[in-house]
Amino acid sequence: MITDRVSYEQLLGISGCLGLALLAHVTALPLWVLAIVVVCGVIRLLLARRGSGAPPRGILIALAALAMPLLFLRFHTFNGLAAGTALLSVTAGLKLLETKTQRDIYIITLIIYFVSLAALLEGDSFWLLGYLIGVCWLTTATLLRATSSGSAHGWQRSLRYGGRVLAQALPLTLVLWLLFPRLASPLWQIPSDSRTAASGLSDTMSPGDITQLALSDEVAFRVRFDTGVPPASDRYWRGPVLDTFDGHTWTRGTSGTGGAPPPQEPQGPAYHYTVMMEPHQHRWIFMLDWPSTWDQPRAELSNDYTLMQRDPLSRPIDVVGTSYTRVQYSEPLKPGTRRRDLRQPADRNPRTQQLAQEMRGAHPDDMDLVSAVLGMFHQQPFYYTLTPPKLADNSVDEFLFDTKRGFCGHYASAFAALMRAAGIPARVVTGYHGGMLNPYGDYWILRQSDAHAWTEIWIEGRGWVRVDPTAAIAPERVEKGLSNAAGADDSLASRWQRKTPWFAGARLRLDLLREMWRERILDFNQDSQRKLLEFLKIPEPDGQKLVLVMGTAMALVLVWLTWQVHRELAPPSKDVAGRTYARLCAKLAAAGVARKPHEGAEAYAIRVAHERPDLAKTVTALCRHYSALRYATPSRSITLGQFQASVRAFRPKRAMRTL
Amino acid sequence: MRRAVTERLRAWAMRRHGRDSLPINIHRRRIYLMPTRFGFMLGAILVAMLIAGLNYNSNLALGFAFLMSSVAFVIMHHCNRNLQRLSVDVTTEVDAFAGHEATFEFALRNASNVDRCDVEARCHAGSGMGSIPARESGTIEVIAPVARRGVTVVRQFELRTRYPFGWFFSWTYVQGLITIYVAPAPAGTKTLPSAGAKGGGSHSDARGDEDFSGLRAYEPGVPLKYMAWKVLARGGEAAVRSYSSLAAQPEWLEWSALDGMEQEARLSQLCLWVLESDAAQRPYGLRIPGREIAPSGGAAHRFACLRALAAFGSDHAAEPGR
Repeated sequence: MITDRVSYEQLLGISGCLGLALLAHVTALPLWVLAIVVVCGVIRLLLARRGSGAPPRGILIALAALAMPLLFLRFHTFNGLAAGTALLSVTAGLKLLETKTQRDIYIITLIIYFVSLAALLEGDSFWLLGYLIGVCWLTTATLLRATSSGSAHGWQRSLRYGGRVLAQALPLTLVLWLLFPRLASPLWQIPSDSRTAASGLSDTMSPGDITQLALSDEVAFRVRFDTGVPPASDRYWRGPVLDTFDGHTWTRGTSGTGGAPPPQEPQGPAYHYTVMMEPHQHRWIFMLDWPSTWDQPRAELSNDYTLMQRDPLSRPIDVVGTSYTRVQYSEPLKPGTRRRDLRQPADRNPRTQQLAQEMRGAHPDDMDLVSAVLGMFHQQPFYYTLTPPKLADNSVDEFLFDTKRGFCGHYASAFAALMRAAGIPARVVTGYHGGMLNPYGDYWILRQSDAHAWTEIWIEGRGWVRVDPTAAIAPERVEKGLSNAAGADDSLASRWQRKTPWFAGARLRLDLLREMWRERILDFNQDSQRKLLEFLKIPEPDGQKLVLVMGTAMALVLVWLTWQVHRELAPPSKDVAGRTYARLCAKLAAAGVARKPHEGAEAYAIRVAHERPDLAKTVTALCRHYSALRYATPSRSITLGQFQASVRAFRPKRAMRTL
Repeated sequence: MRRAVTERLRAWAMRRHGRDSLPINIHRRRIYLMPTRFGFMLGAILVAMLIAGLNYNSNLALGFAFLMSSVAFVIMHHCNRNLQRLSVDVTTEVDAFAGHEATFEFALRNASNVDRCDVEARCHAGSGMGSIPARESGTIEVIAPVARRGVTVVRQFELRTRYPFGWFFSWTYVQGLITIYVAPAPAGTKTLPSAGAKGGGSHSDARGDEDFSGLRAYEPGVPLKYMAWKVLARGGEAAVRSYSSLAAQPEWLEWSALDGMEQEARLSQLCLWVLESDAAQRPYGLRIPGREIAPSGGAAHRFACLRALAAFGSDHAAEPGR
């Protein structure tokens, strides 16, 4: 009955389920929102324990009046995922506090379902999905216990029932998920959440920035090459280009914002590949240097050849692209760009500027100068280390002349600064280098530890030329703990894995599963649906056919479901004679002479003979056979098989009724 | 509005299925199903989930929304199944006193392998709920208040269920024929006509063996202590020992003895007399306009008299066993 008061146990169950559902949001929700829910739940439970009802309405209204402005202060909106979830959570907490009847339990259940869905909108791991389905299973069992009268439903039974319902729902879910048409573009613009912190490279680089990344094992993106794989020395993945230098920090200034990129002529082989980006909340997409084509309509090349999306990447995307590792610039550098790429603060790093002037005097040719600087890195005691000393304002001076210890960022920064001081346009490019092949899935994994910084200089007649000063450091001066970090395609993580091969294998297999999950499940889209229809041999698949196929599949599943649900009413009996007899009775019932529940076979045969003389002979014989098979000793006039066959062949006509 | 729709549906079901012969096995074609308001709420949430999943283009959220929708769909089937193939029977005659309650007993047989939980029977504005485990039978008692004396015929009753989850409710109408005999509420101040003349003393003496006057044929309702067990044990017909005191001094409960009273009050008084005479185990007869019941005793006789009182004034024939 709906008006039933809720019991302590029901409250405990539903509060527990709400708590479990909110646990999925624990990192995203402000702590005080969770605290409100927990406090509300505990107060209500204590009240129920003591046998008192819900607190008066006034308290609730006061709490709501307190919580809503707080929420608004925190989020400045009630729109959007984060604010919506927080609002929903607070509502659920208050609802818990005022829970009196079953109606409230229904509402909390619905909130739990929606909160679980909200968690799936922001998270995308397999475990999260499994966890939330588990939570909903539990919630459903709790609801069953709360809504069915009587104490017949123990926890175990409720859970078993819930599990069976979920299992029966699975085929329909699968059909809907596979075939329900996806939207090409959202119905309305999703408010972007700034809550999710950006990860990976940023559009500024101070000395030491990339060092932090080198310690992170997180996957930045994965790459699958369609044709050949470029050599390690060419596997530079281009990220944000930094062209403004204040003596300490490189920033992505106005670069990339003005107009189309300067024309390039590709040389050498083209590489076709798919970049599977993890969401990093920045706009750039890492492409192999130098990108030529890509399949994202919402992305375009900035004029420094970084592929930029219109909005930050908040969800994983796949980009199919083509790149050439060798290019030739046909046009000279624009004067404005040249001016920008030569600029550096005159009052900073004086020793560097002096060194640049001296070297320029000795090496008038640009490439000679580059070789000389790289030679200096190689011959002088420059060290490559993850723990460089801190640098102050004149960072390049201190690095080049005093500390001589640094990571790729230090070298790129110093090299570019030297080049600018010597009158060669130069800029710092950040991105990733190398990557690790996952042999199980034949794709490359680029981790944050593969983050890298290198430089590009403008050489008249050739255009932008990539110079990686880090590569020039003598191998013996790469710090011991970092023996592989400077190598082409190794990372901290992979070094550790080398020591424990089984771990490395397991880790790569796990990454393959993650990748498959991403590719098959998370990235399932209109295109995948089209491929599915093609696989089903449906010519010229389109949206309309998709809906048709979905309708057909749903009809089939529904028939299955009906059959499945009703089969449980009466599972096939092992008693063949009885089953065959039941079939005979059904046939006769359809013919208008239904057996009455009290009638035995003989009595029934007599009545049928009386009412339908045309059937008398057959039915009498069949009923006698049944009695013989059922009750007499075996091996009489007829075998079970014969009886079955004759019942199957029996087709009584419906009696002509005169109404 | 809602009531009008329900009434039309009931009438339509009546026309559609015609009179059912009880016990009836409920076929799925006569089970109707609707979402409850919680079902509608769930539907709204599911639509919201679907739109959210589509808009965020999140395959996991979509999958979750589809899973919950499918669960709702499965539950719909389960709710429908909860009534299917239940075999229903109901008492065809119900006796009650005006101002009290009538009790309808629904006998349900669940021959299937699935427990039927929370099946609600509704009849004559009353309802009762019960669960019938797999392969078992059970009864559901429906207790409905009856206000006024008379004979009422209930032509339709309803089985419904909200199990499981209460998101849907399915129901079925069964066209039976239940006659409710509502006897007048026993009331009155007058004593039995013979109470003064013959005391209780002679009555208690009447139990003596010397008053034994012979055997007569058994009729249902006679107290068991009057059964002639020895005769039965010898293989004879079931017979009842008859006593001279019982046979000899019948009490006539007369309508005419209560002249000057209002009709319903007269009936109430007669009803009270019937009950008093029955409790005293004294033979009595009932004579009211249009009906005369010969003196006798026992439960069947009592029911006959009460039904005659219930049917007084209506053209309903109150023969027991009809």
